[in-house]
Amino acid sequence: MNYSMVTRLIAKDWYLQRWMILASLAGGAASLGIVCTGGKAAFMLGLILLVMVLIFVGAQLPMAMMVHERKEQTLSFVMSLPISHREYTTAKILGTLLIFLIPWLVLVLGSLALFAVPNGVALGLLPYTVIMAIEILVGVCLTIAVALVTESQGWAVAAVMAGNVGFNIVGYYVAHLPGIAQGMWGSSLMWSPTASTVVLTEFAVIVLLLCFTFFFQSRKRDFL
Amino acid sequence: MNDLSVEFQGVSKHYPHFNLDNIDLELPTGSIMGFIGANGAGKSTTIRILMGLVHQDKGTVNVLGHPMPADQTEAKLDIGFVSEDMRLYGAATLKWHMEFVSSIYPRWDQAYAEKLVRRFDLKLQQKIKGLSHGQRVKAALLLALARRPRLLVLDEPTTGLDPVARKEVLGELMAVLADEDRTILFSSHNTQDVEQISDQITFIDHGRIIDSDDKECFLDHWRRLRLVLPQNTELPHLPGVIDVGGSGRLPVLTTNCFDPAMLSVCQDLGATVQAVDNMTLEEIFVTSVQHRRETLAV
Repeated sequence: MNYSMVTRLIAKDWYLQRWMILASLAGGAASLGIVCTGGKAAFMLGLILLVMVLIFVGAQLPMAMMVHERKEQTLSFVMSLPISHREYTTAKILGTLLIFLIPWLVLVLGSLALFAVPNGVALGLLPYTVIMAIEILVGVCLTIAVALVTESQGWAVAAVMAGNVGFNIVGYYVAHLPGIAQGMWGSSLMWSPTASTVVLTEFAVIVLLLCFTFFFQSRKRDFL
Repeated sequence: MNDLSVEFQGVSKHYPHFNLDNIDLELPTGSIMGFIGANGAGKSTTIRILMGLVHQDKGTVNVLGHPMPADQTEAKLDIGFVSEDMRLYGAATLKWHMEFVSSIYPRWDQAYAEKLVRRFDLKLQQKIKGLSHGQRVKAALLLALARRPRLLVLDEPTTGLDPVARKEVLGELMAVLADEDRTILFSSHNTQDVEQISDQITFIDHGRIIDSDDKECFLDHWRRLRLVLPQNTELPHLPGVIDVGGSGRLPVLTTNCFDPAMLSVCQDLGATVQAVDNMTLEEIFVTSVQHRRETLAV
């Protein structure tokens, strides 16, 4: 694996997506600002905005970095460089995830910080918040996998929709799990084995999605 | 040392509606091969296989001593590739592209790149999306040439260019030819462009190589004979004649292995040889393709 080439490709994508990174950070900061104004309505509004920003960035990044690469015919320029298909796949996955993880981490850590503020968000919501934040990451990995393997806008949009539907289903399902629901609205933190199981399952799904992506990419015989 | 920069042996690739069939191709180091075929003949597929971007189903491909697609990373370090459907990043400037490519290729020649910027009348700070089609092709060519590749692969680079831009692009390619170690594969359906710069010609049609030879051999061996036959005389089949056109008493014979002795044979039949015409590469290509298709139809 030529790591120096992978790094250059990631840096290239970071440069080309710099405005989206900045816009997502600004949008996220605004959402957190709304939450900080206090009150339940502000909290809900800020949280919804926050999730929207993350979902938008998570959908837009794979489109811009993978689907558009083929659509705008820059793929042949990239593939004419001294890289293998495996290095291209690695660069795209790492590049997209790292870019997404910047606003994701900032926003997630910002959200978590609200739990530490006196009279802030009830600590009982912490497990649910963590689970749903990771669920957004699962959705993004699904979109990355589909966008990279199919290079099709239609399939990538379908993956985004599936991720969003999955987010709502998981949100509803997890909120009704006894191990989560019991202490959800309480003022003290209650991290149950159920919460750990859900988080581990989410990470397992992420790893599986990325492994499948490498597997299908390695079976491709036509890159243009 | 292998003196072939490119070597295809029995390469095939199957698609639902197109087959590249048993391609054998040799490109000696230092030569310039014109790769001519109609749209959809298989030029781009062949070139993509050469670049390792499409994997062949059968056969072996060797580029600059590297088996493809296995060693494509090493091979592509020494290849400059420009294709008609290649686009640069619209939101980035030419300067950014130059910095990006120069960070990858150790042999990047900045002085030459700057010379090409001036020669092609490009602007470093201009975004690619603001360039005309001709300027984009020139920018892509600049990025390929300044990395000082041992093998330059050009897939229809002059398609869609206006005459001035075409002349500039071809002019720069001619200048590149001064470097005797550089090998060029130039694909096009425009035979005039190919004729200007190539010393070897390969014709491809419907996924098969139909002919491959030195350009001078093509031009020397192909002739068009204009005859006048006596009344009630039928022209027998003559060896080496692949097409007979014209009207009954005024046949026009096309041969791909012209020999002055053919004129004596015609005269012995009572025919008057009105003219022996040289053929352009375009005429040779069209006749070759038609002859092959007719042969297959029979």
